[in-house]
Amino acid sequence: MARNITMIEAITEAMAQEMERDDRVFVMGEDIGLSGGVFKATAGLYEKFGEERVLDTPLAEGNIIASAIGASMVGLRPIAEIQFADFITPAMESLVQQASKIRYRSAGGYGCSLTVRICCGGGTGGGLYHSQENASWFVHEPGLKVVMPSTAYDAKGLLLAAIRDPNPVLYFEHKKLYRTAKGDVPDGDYTVPIGKAEIRRQGRDMTIVTYGYMTGLCLEAAEQITKNGVDAEVIDLRTLSPLDKDTVLESVRKTSKCLVVHEDKRTLGIGGEISAIIAEEAFDDLDGPIIRITGPDIPAIPFAPPLEHAWMVNTEKIVAGMEKLAAY
Amino acid sequence: MASKSGRAVAELETEKSDNGRKNGNGRELMLGLYKMLVKCRMCDEKARILFRQGKYAGNFYSGVGQEAAEVGAAYSLREDDWIAPSHRDWTSNIIKGAPLNLCFAQLFGKATSPDRGKSTPAHMGYPPIHTITPASSIAGQLAVGTGVAFGLKKLGRDTVVVSFFGDGATSLGGFHEALNFAGVHKLPIIYVCQNNLWAESVPLRLQTALKDLADRAKAYGFPGISLDGNDVMAVYDASTKAIARARAGEGPTFLECKTYRWYGHSEIDPAKYRMKEEVEAWKKRDPLVLFEKVLRDKKLLTDESKDKIAKETTQEINEAVEFAEQSPYPDASELADHIWAQE
Repeated sequence: MARNITMIEAITEAMAQEMERDDRVFVMGEDIGLSGGVFKATAGLYEKFGEERVLDTPLAEGNIIASAIGASMVGLRPIAEIQFADFITPAMESLVQQASKIRYRSAGGYGCSLTVRICCGGGTGGGLYHSQENASWFVHEPGLKVVMPSTAYDAKGLLLAAIRDPNPVLYFEHKKLYRTAKGDVPDGDYTVPIGKAEIRRQGRDMTIVTYGYMTGLCLEAAEQITKNGVDAEVIDLRTLSPLDKDTVLESVRKTSKCLVVHEDKRTLGIGGEISAIIAEEAFDDLDGPIIRITGPDIPAIPFAPPLEHAWMVNTEKIVAGMEKLAAY
Repeated sequence: MASKSGRAVAELETEKSDNGRKNGNGRELMLGLYKMLVKCRMCDEKARILFRQGKYAGNFYSGVGQEAAEVGAAYSLREDDWIAPSHRDWTSNIIKGAPLNLCFAQLFGKATSPDRGKSTPAHMGYPPIHTITPASSIAGQLAVGTGVAFGLKKLGRDTVVVSFFGDGATSLGGFHEALNFAGVHKLPIIYVCQNNLWAESVPLRLQTALKDLADRAKAYGFPGISLDGNDVMAVYDASTKAIARARAGEGPTFLECKTYRWYGHSEIDPAKYRMKEEVEAWKKRDPLVLFEKVLRDKKLLTDESKDKIAKETTQEINEAVEFAEQSPYPDASELADHIWAQE
């Protein structure tokens, strides 16, 4: 039966149900046990499963991931939480040198079935160090899967898929969606396939490729621009690595125009990669330039409200990009 | 007496004894340790020669001079125990029981090596015996090994992990994070630091203000012991106690084995930063020679039995080198294999 619940409730439910179903699954991270997490993503799990399976760790992101990797190597299924994507940097060694490469460097002798939940994203007044996304760093690392849901339904289904995946999966959660993304979520078991994008809005005139929090803004923008007679298709990538190129290319071949929208910084971001893929594989189908609407190449999201507002991608910026593209 | 100890060696082979690994007969154990020291020394020297002959590319990180620490710490491990080796611990695979053929195939990057030529020569792991294929990043290996101990404890097993690393690794943040976590959860792991006084070319005095690296363990709430890393029995005794402690759920132990690498950091490092006198002084404390004297005093080793061990080991090594040389390289079509696990 489906209930109307929030993304954070869907995330909590996915973990609780999977821990119930599979006793190899456990959760570890900072402030996730006794306090239930800074955003309450693990609320109630400690009471239900105890410290053995809901473990508060020392404040050491590198070791959270390294110990989860080791535990996965002996057959367990850890879910490690990184409280803020801004603080994932101490775990780069563990993620990039160990998790993504242990299978490759041992020719499949050792594996790493690991889920890392990472709270990310700006627009909540978090300032420089509680607003970063940083997902694209990991898209550059074959061996790591990277996903980011935009709906409550996908949040549960993608998390269940991530936990069951025999590979390391980085599961990014946009904090602005925790309580604003609300929708029908089945109370039973289901997965959303990793590596498969979803077309959120069908359209003829242009393709908008996006993911996460930006998906809602793109859908709003697509509605607004109908007044100009533009019918936009909106693709929610859901998985950033491996990218669902087929869905993107098929759409662009149909619409002949593409706008890529993401919150994270511009240079070498997902937008650059998608633009290159389209330029390489669908060049002849294009009727206009590929346009990127992204966060700026500014170190991080500043705190003062006008500065944060100026940093963030919003509906107006997306509509402006669409208008520019529609002119071709 | 000569014939008696000679017979003892022969008996070990015909009866497929475990060479005293399970801490049985003291004589068997000591001979077993000696044979393993010889095997590690000879394999390591052979690996160096092969590199210098241009038989394989990349690099090699010799552990010659440090064999007592390596053998003493790992010799009594059970089959289901784990080792988290670093770059200088290629021989830990040999001690744990990896076939020599595979060890030499590893050096050559051949398709018959455990990682099918993916990892570099000295970075060997072999899943059937639970040695973890190392990354080159120092201390990263130690952190993952600690994670394995964490997992083993969660599974309720009495299996332990031996983590090998050098003095250099103790400067990294990951070292602190891992040992701290191991202390908190009393993880079944033995941290074996082979303090050879040099982190590549950086002397200990520029690495730490401590005199004994074992003192670091105090900060993590478990025992730290400094010992003569060139005395194989001293390392063996300390490690068996530490292993028993870990198996009993009493937590980690830090063993600082003070030792010395005879050669450079790697085969391309002439190690001119070290004083000749220092190198010579340590070579006089050759762990093999020291232990050989003990065995001879106990009438456990004769010229004949020593020669026999050396000859047999040489033959085994030659066969392994032959196997490695004859083995094919991986096909280029394997480039993208093993990135992902399939469901």
